[in-house]
Order: sequence, then structure tokens, then C-alpha cells
Amino acid sequence: MATDNLVQTPPPHLRSKEQTAVAMRDVLIALAPVTIAALVAFTYNALFVIAVCVGSCMFFEWAVRKLRKKKVTLRDGSAAVTGLLLALLMPAQIHWLNMIIASFIAIVVIKELMGGLGRNIFNPALFGYVFIITCSGILASWTGHLGFLSAGFDGVTGATPLAFIGPGLESMGPSYGSLLFANYGGAISEVGAFWVLLGGAYLIYRKVIGWVIPTTILATVFVLSYIVGSDGLYQILAGGVMLGAFFMATDWVSSPMFTWGQVIFGLIIGVCIVLIRVFGAPTGAVAYSIIIGNCFVPLLDKVFKPKRFGEVVAA
Amino acid sequence: MAEAKTFKGGIHPPYNKELASGKAIKRAPVPAEVIIPLQQHIGAPNEALVSAGDRVEVGQKIGSSDAFVSAPVHSSVAGVVKEVVDVPNFTGNKVKSVVITTDAEQPEFAKKPGKDIDSLSADEIREIAKEAGLVGMGGAAFPTHVKLTPPKDKPVDLVIINACECEPFLTCDHRQMLEKGDDLIAGARLLKTAVGAGKVIIGIEANKMDAVDAIRSKASGLSDVEVEVLEVKYPEGAEKMLIFALTGRKVPPGKLPSEVGCLVQNVGTAIALYEAAAWGKPLYERVLTVTGPGIREPGNLLAAIGTPISDLIEACGGFVGNPVKLIMGGPMTGWAQSGTTANVVKGTSGVVVLTSDVVEMGEETDCVRCSKCIEACPMFLSPNFIVQAAKRGQWDKAEMWGALDCFECGCCSFECPAFIPHVEYVRKAKAEIAALKKKKE
Repeated sequence: MATDNLVQTPPPHLRSKEQTAVAMRDVLIALAPVTIAALVAFTYNALFVIAVCVGSCMFFEWAVRKLRKKKVTLRDGSAAVTGLLLALLMPAQIHWLNMIIASFIAIVVIKELMGGLGRNIFNPALFGYVFIITCSGILASWTGHLGFLSAGFDGVTGATPLAFIGPGLESMGPSYGSLLFANYGGAISEVGAFWVLLGGAYLIYRKVIGWVIPTTILATVFVLSYIVGSDGLYQILAGGVMLGAFFMATDWVSSPMFTWGQVIFGLIIGVCIVLIRVFGAPTGAVAYSIIIGNCFVPLLDKVFKPKRFGEVVAA
Repeated sequence: MAEAKTFKGGIHPPYNKELASGKAIKRAPVPAEVIIPLQQHIGAPNEALVSAGDRVEVGQKIGSSDAFVSAPVHSSVAGVVKEVVDVPNFTGNKVKSVVITTDAEQPEFAKKPGKDIDSLSADEIREIAKEAGLVGMGGAAFPTHVKLTPPKDKPVDLVIINACECEPFLTCDHRQMLEKGDDLIAGARLLKTAVGAGKVIIGIEANKMDAVDAIRSKASGLSDVEVEVLEVKYPEGAEKMLIFALTGRKVPPGKLPSEVGCLVQNVGTAIALYEAAAWGKPLYERVLTVTGPGIREPGNLLAAIGTPISDLIEACGGFVGNPVKLIMGGPMTGWAQSGTTANVVKGTSGVVVLTSDVVEMGEETDCVRCSKCIEACPMFLSPNFIVQAAKRGQWDKAEMWGALDCFECGCCSFECPAFIPHVEYVRKAKAEIAALKKKKE
């Protein structure tokens, strides 16, 4: 009978094709430009970092789901995204054990032990990264990369652009142009803010992320930097601000759901970035700031509940 | 041309209107047997006025109730009552129904001598609507005469004809506007008289510009009838959204359109009111769309109430492909069927058959907090938090997040990347909240 295959599920009977796995695939596509730029700049050093991070994140997710006797959810792509984001935060020259520790913290502690995708308070990749920069004694040098790269790149050796953060110092750092397209130094993703921006624009175009959070963060960093006497443009182009604003702070699970909450969230992160960078230590400033922002999310979701249609504001 | 009017939120599902929008309304064959539920509306059920063995004529009243919020039902065929029994309706609930074996020869409905519809009073129009068993034909099936009796302290100044037909696939209102435009305008003006309003606006979505042109030209000489074009967006035809789009007025939570001086009626209802007033024809048949990729020859049919949907599907060439969803109503809000035994009722706007290649099958996972449901919700609710509260059995919290304001349009679930069936959770929450309130009383 033609009716044998009929299924009775509740309405609606039409669904968008944009399911979680599609969104994660979009994030991977959006990360492609910066990933390729990283591979060009750091060749097999970057490849090694990416392979270790993505591989161990996926392994830990598989293992912990098995141990928890839950369905293995590698196919939703979120473990691969966490792995790639984590890799992009790593310097080219780093002990492999650090990456495995970071992956373990990200996937096992921050994601799965909190209940799995959807229940984690913090961005897993960021937390894994912060864990190793604060807790690991075997972290290698963050400056430059291995010597076998062809010469001629900016900052092959020497300080990262973040060393020049501070009132009056930025003019001694790399030019805006090189920060946008070609500066090497710091994490493997810090090979040109433009490539990150390109991916961010794709995510907004595909409606995977909204524009409110990245815009608020960038605007806050830009304006506040000038207020404290620093170079705002240099601030948003150098280091991980771009990656943080478009790929980390916009993480669905660990960001606020309502527009005004998102604005405040962006403000908190932006203010923290500038304060930590200018008055504290620049390394990890973006990561710390976003994790501080993550802590405010439950509160922001409570406070900024939107008014229902037709609801009258109580006088 | 002015920009198409709209509301905030909503979604753009695939519409697929072209499957049936070009097909003229055809009369469906009279089935061998009709099953007419005694309750097809929101409100009190009817008592049967006939019993097994009785002869009935087309349009004869066979069920009525003394309750105000109720609508009588009429026989859709000439035949003999076989039995009056409980039969599961399209939602699966058992409803007392009159089963009628139809005569081989079906006489035409005897039109009653026409009244002068321009001289009818408001009370006469309400009485006509009640006697004809009129209900909202967009799907909700709320008795029309009740809607036409707004509270005395809430004067209605505007009648809105909901001609959005925002549900994907359905085209029966579109066809009726093209084929029965004069009746629609006459019916709309009767509605206007019944509530003492000054103006009628017919709101049509921009994907039916031929209907806009047709109705505009027919209404060109009338100062009290306007046609407005609305953006193609779901759920444009939801009462509160439509009122807002056309007038900027916001119906407060838990209130009816009369709160802001509006009455909204569907195209089919307005036409049925005209037919009832002009010819004394009760609501015993309706136009509906039988369509979808699983139907061989989609079309718009005029079907007798009580017709089994298997007959309608057959009249449209039968199934094609691998049908996995058979829906009574539109694909966003309709009821999925397990077979073809359900019968057409007054609120049945369509039968939509979807095949395996167009139905997204997914597995519900935890919410990933993407905010898409919040952006889509036309009522500005937080569907994710309602679901979260419902999953934990925190019904007070579900109410706080707006469960009772949800009219179950399904935009949230359409957008949800985690495949969460929000509407199902909301229905559960509504039932539990109602039960708790009853307990308190």
C-alpha cells in the first residue's frame, strides 16, 4: 500500500535543511581561508598542530561518549570545529603534549562533563587554550616559528605584534597592511586578520552567526583603545581579536540568546580585552575576556528577556 | 507600488503553490458514504437530530446545540442515515458522527429565493451565520456568529479578510478569489454590517498578484472595500500578525482582535456567509486543496463535508512516489495521518501529501542555543526556554516564557537546527498549565 510508510509526527511538517551539522560545516568552510594561510606560512608545523588538535578532540569526544554510553555524535561536526579552533590558537612551535592536554580539557571537561553540546557554559576550545597557557610549564616559545621556513616573511623571529600594544608603542609594531594580510607571529591563525574577517563575513551571510556580537566587540575595542591612549585599529587587527569576535564569542552555546544581552556581552568582552591588553599581559587577553563574558550569559539571558508581542510595559 | 506590509519575525518556507494554483475548482465526486462529525468546531458538541434509517436531504440540519458557542451541522448529501456512532476524526479523537449512505442520484441544492442582502440587519446576519453552521474555514473552526458578536464595550471599526493563505502548498483561497471574487466582496460587506464596522480590508500576499488585480477591479467602485498587498512570509495570515501588518495595532497577550477594533475572517468564511445569506445555503461543502509531491494531479476540489480523504486522493489521480506524510490542513500546522480514513470537516483547508525526498527527517538533540527560534517567533517568545521548562516539568516557568501566547505556527521548529518539536512541548505545557489552574480554583 502507498500509505505504509506514513509517519505521524507533530507539526510543522516542513523543516529547514540547516541542521547543526550544516552549521558546523559552514564554520569549517569559514575557517578555510585562515587555515590555508596558516598552512602556507607555517607549512607542516601548522599541519602537525591542526592534525594533533583535531585528531585528539575527535578521539576524546568518541571515547567519552562511549564511556558515558551515549550516542557518538562526531557527525555533528562540533568536535572537529573545536579541534580546528584550538589548533588555530596554538603557536607553530609547541610541544604535542600541550595540545593533547588542551583537547582533553576542551572536550572532556568543558563540553562532555557539562552535559555535552548545548550545555557547556564556556567555549571549549578557548578554555582548553587558557588552561595550557596558565597551567602548563612546558609551553614552548610563542614568538616566531621554526627556522626552516623560507626567509623574508614578516616577523620570522622576534616579538609578536602584541608586544607593541600600549600607549605609543603600536607605531613600532608591524604596519596595518601586514597585520591584515601577512604578519606571522603568535598563534598560527595570526597570519592576517583579513582571512579571519572573510570567514566571519561568510558566517554572517549564511546566518550561522549574527552581526551583533562581533560588531560590538570590535567597536568597543576600537573606541576604548583610543580612549586609553592606544591605537584602536592596531588593536583590532593584531592578535586574536578578529578570531575571537567572529568565531569564539559567537559560539551558539556559550553566548547570550537575546539581542540586548548580546550587546552587553560584546561590551564586556571588548572592555576586558582592552584593559587586559593595555594594563595586563597581552597574551591570552582575548581568550580570558571571552571566558569572562561566558560567565555572564545566564544572567544576560534572564535580564534581557524580550517583551512579548503586544505586551504592555508595566507602568 | 507601496511596499508590501508585514510583521517582525517569521520564516520563508518553500511554498510550492504552483502545484495547484493554476487548477480551477472542480466538484469532487459524491462518495458512497459520508461521515459527518457532530462537532467540527471549537465549542459545545451538537446533539444528533436524526437517527439510523432516517432520510436526509442536502443541506438538512442533522445536529444542533443550545449552547451559544457552537455551530450546527448539515447533511452534505441526499441519502439515508446508516448510524450515529463514535468515529475517530482527523486528530485521532473519537467524535460522535452521523454516517450517511448516499443516494445514487444527487439532486442539486435547492436555492432558496434570494433575500435582499443589502437590507439585512446585523442581528439577521448573525442568525444566518449561526443557522448555516458557519465556522472559521482557515482551520481553527471557531463559530462565526460568536466572532460576529463582539463585546458591547469594544466597537469594531475594521473587518479584515484574511486572504494571505500563508501556509505552503494550499491554494484554495487563491482559487476562490479568482473564481468567486464578487461573492467574497459581498460576504465581506455582510461581515462589515454584522459588526457595524466602517471599512473592509482584504489582505492578500504578494505571491497572488492575479487575485489582487481581480479583487481590486471588482471592488473599484466601492469606497468601503480596500485590497492590501502583504509580504510573502509565514505566518502572515495569523490573526495578530495580519492585524499588525495592516493597521499597526497590537492585540495584547490573551486578548481577542475586538480589543483593537478588528474582526478577521477567512476568504472561505466570507464566501460561505454570502451563499448562506443569498441562497440559504448552509455550510455542507467546502473548497480545499489536494496537493503535494505525493499527489499525481494536484488540484482544488469542492468536496462534501464528510467525504473520506481517500476519495479525494483518488479524484486527484492517487499517490505518486513514496508518500511519508499525509497531512490534513497545511504542512506547517496540519495533522499527520496514519492512513486515508479521515473525513473532510468544515475546517479542512487541504490534504497535503509529502514524499520521502522532500521531508527532512532528523533526530531531536539538545538545544544548541543558536537563537534561531527566538528570531523566528512572531510573538517574540522564547521557544527554547519554554521547551527547557517543559522538559523539566516546570510549568510555571513555561508560562513565564510565554507558552500561553504561542499560537503554534511552528516557525521555531522549522528553523531549529537541533530538530526540536517545540509545538509538541508547548501543547503539553498548555495542557498542564490549564490543569494546574483548574486545580487551584
